[in-house]
Amino acid sequence: MTLLAFDGVTKHYGEELVLDAVSFELDRSEVEVIIGPSGSGKSTLLRCVNRLAEVDNGTIRFDGEPIGDTDADELRRQVGMVFQDFNLFAHRTALGNVTLGLRRVRGFSKEEARERARRELEQVGLGAQLDSYPAELSGGQKQRVGIARALAMDPELLLFDEPTSALDPELIGEVLAVMRELADDGMTMLCVTHELGFARSVADRLTFLEAGAIVERGDPERLFTDPRSDRTAEYLSRLTGEY
Amino acid sequence: MSKVPESGTSAGRAGTSAVGELPTARQALLAGLGVLFWGWLIVRWSYDRLVAPSVNVTDREPFVPAGPLEGVADALSTVATDLGALGTPIGWLAWAFETAALGVRNLPALAEGALITVQLTVVSILCGLVIAVPLAVARVYGGPVTRWTALAYTELIRGTPLLAQLFVLWFGLSLGPPVRGLPGVGGPLPSAAVVVAMIGFTINSSAYQSEYIRSALTGVDAGQLTAARAIGLGKLAGIRHVVLPQALRFAIPGWTNEFIYLIKYSSLAAFITVPELFRRARDIGADTFRFTDIYAVIAVFYLAFVLTTAAAMRHFEDRTAIPGLN
Ligand SMILES: Nc1ncnc2c1ncn2[C@@H]1O[C@H](COP(=O)(O)OP(=O)(O)OP(=O)(O)O)[C@@H](O)[C@H]1O
Ligand SMILES: [Mg+2]
Repeated sequence: MTLLAFDGVTKHYGEELVLDAVSFELDRSEVEVIIGPSGSGKSTLLRCVNRLAEVDNGTIRFDGEPIGDTDADELRRQVGMVFQDFNLFAHRTALGNVTLGLRRVRGFSKEEARERARRELEQVGLGAQLDSYPAELSGGQKQRVGIARALAMDPELLLFDEPTSALDPELIGEVLAVMRELADDGMTMLCVTHELGFARSVADRLTFLEAGAIVERGDPERLFTDPRSDRTAEYLSRLTGEY
Repeated sequence: MSKVPESGTSAGRAGTSAVGELPTARQALLAGLGVLFWGWLIVRWSYDRLVAPSVNVTDREPFVPAGPLEGVADALSTVATDLGALGTPIGWLAWAFETAALGVRNLPALAEGALITVQLTVVSILCGLVIAVPLAVARVYGGPVTRWTALAYTELIRGTPLLAQLFVLWFGLSLGPPVRGLPGVGGPLPSAAVVVAMIGFTINSSAYQSEYIRSALTGVDAGQLTAARAIGLGKLAGIRHVVLPQALRFAIPGWTNEFIYLIKYSSLAAFITVPELFRRARDIGADTFRFTDIYAVIAVFYLAFVLTTAAAMRHFEDRTAIPGLN
């Protein structure tokens, strides 16, 4: 069943064409990985989904409804987002980062919110860091708080914008492990990431975006072994370092 | 519960005590003087209200007699005159004791003025803050109209003299009579002139405070509001729960400056008849022809207010500090 559908989505920033007639569908419980060169519009594509950016033309449907028809705040409650540089609320503890949305968006009582937040943080392996401030956490721990914060809203779709790009290599694994677990639990995920191992073993779809347009989209294994486009082949070989 | 935050706080505590080790003697002396000053003021204010409310301010007796100080001053000035040219330094000492005696004799009246100065400053800075926060938010996050309106207000207030603003309220708009008619004014609430001065200082300081808060707001990383919006918080809720708690912390040092300015600028209320500290001193100067001496005495009061505010705000800043946020 389709959860997210792009239909001829076009977006400009000023004169610059950032998304060029992008169309694709993502089913419930599917994991999609998007790759592409810097500036190809990957972040913009994600930001259009939760209306942090507005499209110029075409429609995006979420659960069958054009997203322009729903209240943006309500849409964002159902679509979680995880950022490259975490964007944790700097003045709140790990627990406070997760409770804020529960209290102010979902209307939980203080006690309910603490209880739920504690469970979310334990889920991502941070049961011992509940009272730590972001500055007291490692990058991998910060990103896991970011994921817990998004999960606490009970989203139907999670957007990941290069969740491991700001991490030291030895911390990437712990974040990918959490993402893998989410995928196994049936979360629908749209991920911009250049972790090809993750794309190959977890993703159901791999999309190669270039200059705002989808060059190729399909089964990840097929794109790696039998790309239809020379551009895809070239880009993937550059990423894997196989010249 | 967990080990991470505990080690974090203990490290912070060790850090402050290491820095605070050397000046403890000076700090203790200042703290002692502070307790003495504020202790006296509070006892004086309470005594004058509870024990001797009907006695006229100028007829009130100081808690300590000025006589001994005058005796010392007289003795020293006799010695100074006998020594001729060599006696000049002793003459200065004599002046110091005379000034102290003048101050002590007038302490009840000065305490009454100091009470108004404190009320003026504290009420105005807090009311100003209540206006400054939305003003700053309008400047940074508002649409063209709100942004422009807020800018016009701030520039108009910051671009004109404070005394002129007080005169506009007091003489130009004649706010005295209507304010006097408000319930409680002159009764439980301060007199009309004090209330009008509070209005003036509130308006004035709101403009300056909003500038400090505005620049603190722009110092908060844009990703913070994006993250707030991404979990479904509205723009205002995101500003209120995510951006402002950080920005207000950033603004504390600048805001403290504004507070300290306001303590001193509150003396301008004297020109619209408010019997605050400076006006009391001016009246005493007019009675005794010793303006310089009495102004030197109230300088000590202002200094005490300023040092107390700075110390209290430093303490507040430490109390509200968050690891990694400054
Ligand atoms: N808010 C904005 N205003 C103007 N131009 C923008 C804005 N956001 C992105 N762009 C431009 O749109 C284009 C696509 O940006 P986007 O961030 O979507 O690319 P990306 O694929 O995520 O790149 P990267 O891999 O570097 O993150 C870039 O040329 C960028 O300069
Ligand atoms: Mg990007």
